[in-house]
Amino acid sequence: MAEVILTDRLTKSYGARRGVIELSFSVSPGEVFGYLGPNGAGKTTTIRTLLDLIRPTSGRAFVFGLDPRRDAVRIHARVGYLPGEFSLYDHMTGAEYLTYLASLRGGVPAERIRELAERLDVDLGARIRTLSHGNRQKIGLIQAFMHRPELLILDEPTQGLDPLIQHEFTRLIEETRADGRTVFLSSHVMPEVERVCDRVGIIREGRLVAVEEIGDLRAKELRTLEIRFGQPIRPDAFEGVPGVREARVNGETARVTVTGPMDALVKRLAAFEVVDLVSHEPSLEEIFLTFYGRGEEHGG
Amino acid sequence: MAAEVLRARPLLATVFRKTAWEQRRAIFWWGVGLFAAGAMYAPFYPSIRENAATFEQYIQEMPEFLREAFLGRTGDFTSPAGYLNTELFSLFAPLLMLLFAIGAGARAIAGEEERRTLDILLSTPIPRSRVVVDKFLAMLAGGAFLALMLWLSVPLTGPPFELRVDLGNLAAAVLMCFLLAMAFGAIALAVSAGSGRRGLAIGVAAGAAAGSWLVDLLVPAVEAISWLQYLSPMHYYLDPEPMMNGLGIVGSLVLAGIALGSFVAAIVLFERRDLAS
Repeated sequence: MAEVILTDRLTKSYGARRGVIELSFSVSPGEVFGYLGPNGAGKTTTIRTLLDLIRPTSGRAFVFGLDPRRDAVRIHARVGYLPGEFSLYDHMTGAEYLTYLASLRGGVPAERIRELAERLDVDLGARIRTLSHGNRQKIGLIQAFMHRPELLILDEPTQGLDPLIQHEFTRLIEETRADGRTVFLSSHVMPEVERVCDRVGIIREGRLVAVEEIGDLRAKELRTLEIRFGQPIRPDAFEGVPGVREARVNGETARVTVTGPMDALVKRLAAFEVVDLVSHEPSLEEIFLTFYGRGEEHGG
Repeated sequence: MAAEVLRARPLLATVFRKTAWEQRRAIFWWGVGLFAAGAMYAPFYPSIRENAATFEQYIQEMPEFLREAFLGRTGDFTSPAGYLNTELFSLFAPLLMLLFAIGAGARAIAGEEERRTLDILLSTPIPRSRVVVDKFLAMLAGGAFLALMLWLSVPLTGPPFELRVDLGNLAAAVLMCFLLAMAFGAIALAVSAGSGRRGLAIGVAAGAAAGSWLVDLLVPAVEAISWLQYLSPMHYYLDPEPMMNGLGIVGSLVLAGIALGSFVAAIVLFERRDLAS
């Protein structure tokens, strides 16, 4: 089995609470796979099943072709994992914590840990209880990356990181990809996934509603423009313009929803006196509603 | 150039050593407590001895079941061994040992799970069973240290007060006290590993210990149900009276069996379940 991750109708039920329902997807070696969905959609449930922290209700999952239920230890040896919610041992220093985990992994080059700490700008000498949330997140990242695992499973990895460090994180992912290693990254933030991933699985209410190449998703990209004109314009001014999905004109203002390239719209706008133009990045929820709003009716 | 490979200081190299190292301060103070428990009865011994005749008479006048319940099977209260059997080993020493062991067992898995440190620990290439084994061993090591302190306290503080006992019998009593604590500590560990809830683990194990003690205390007085005492782990601790009789083989085996059985149950239950996120 060549796929690094493979799931086949993977289902986890929690009684009344939603889990995940019949997930089937695969992640190839060397790929950076984004797992995108709103909070509570089932991202963490999927990830914890892959690591044998929880067990599926039905269906199967394979990591490196191994069954997590039977071969958890062999899988763990090749995986670096950052949970979405975690604590470190408060009374330890960062260095003590990382060396403890390094020992459980059979040793990690000290130079590697120092390098990561420098790049992410975190003081490993400080007691963890004195560290900010962002700094704890960095130590979580270091423990996931330090042993150069073949597969990184990162659950909402950039929460709490400042933009400079997020950039460094992006570089870490790129280096991992350059090494031919694989990344499975969950997020509820579209731009983060766009920045680093090759392919995206979109999960909503426990179901995988789409798996797309990032380029294809970008082509579908949705934008809302708020435009103010110098004089009232006709309500049908944007009819027939390629890419415009919806246009609401109200005298001197218009709210236009566009997908894909904006060229045609901009050329149409050139015919008017434009006083102001604001472009909104749509929320993930808007994208879901636009493209995957009928998710529940598919599959199952 | 040989790369420096980062391994933990030996003290943090395994889950066992880390757990043992982390409890060092607490263990020190528990050790002080056990030593003090063993020492604190010595100064009162001379007056007990001087008034032995009065005590004996008083004891003889007590109803039999009260005498058994509070003074042990032999009713010997005034000899050094009987005095320690009654005062130290019937309640206070096992109580302290139990508190330590139940706390350690309950904390073992559920403590990490409730604090959310367990996901990362279990994403390393160590089996779940190994974590249970290491936590169990850390509890055994801590308990063994406390038992040693308890044992040392008597020969170190008793002689000035003419409290001299057979050190072999004392060791037997301490060992049985240790086994009792490990039995209930392992029950706490099993609930901790099986449920992930520390409070529940403490409640179940402490409740079982208290219930077991009450059963052993009260049931023998009622002929018809006196057989129930054999279901009480506390019976196997209290009945042999090792201070006088040496190690109770059956009692020790039963207590060790409960500890081992609960330990195995902890592994099985932990392997089977979903971890709380």
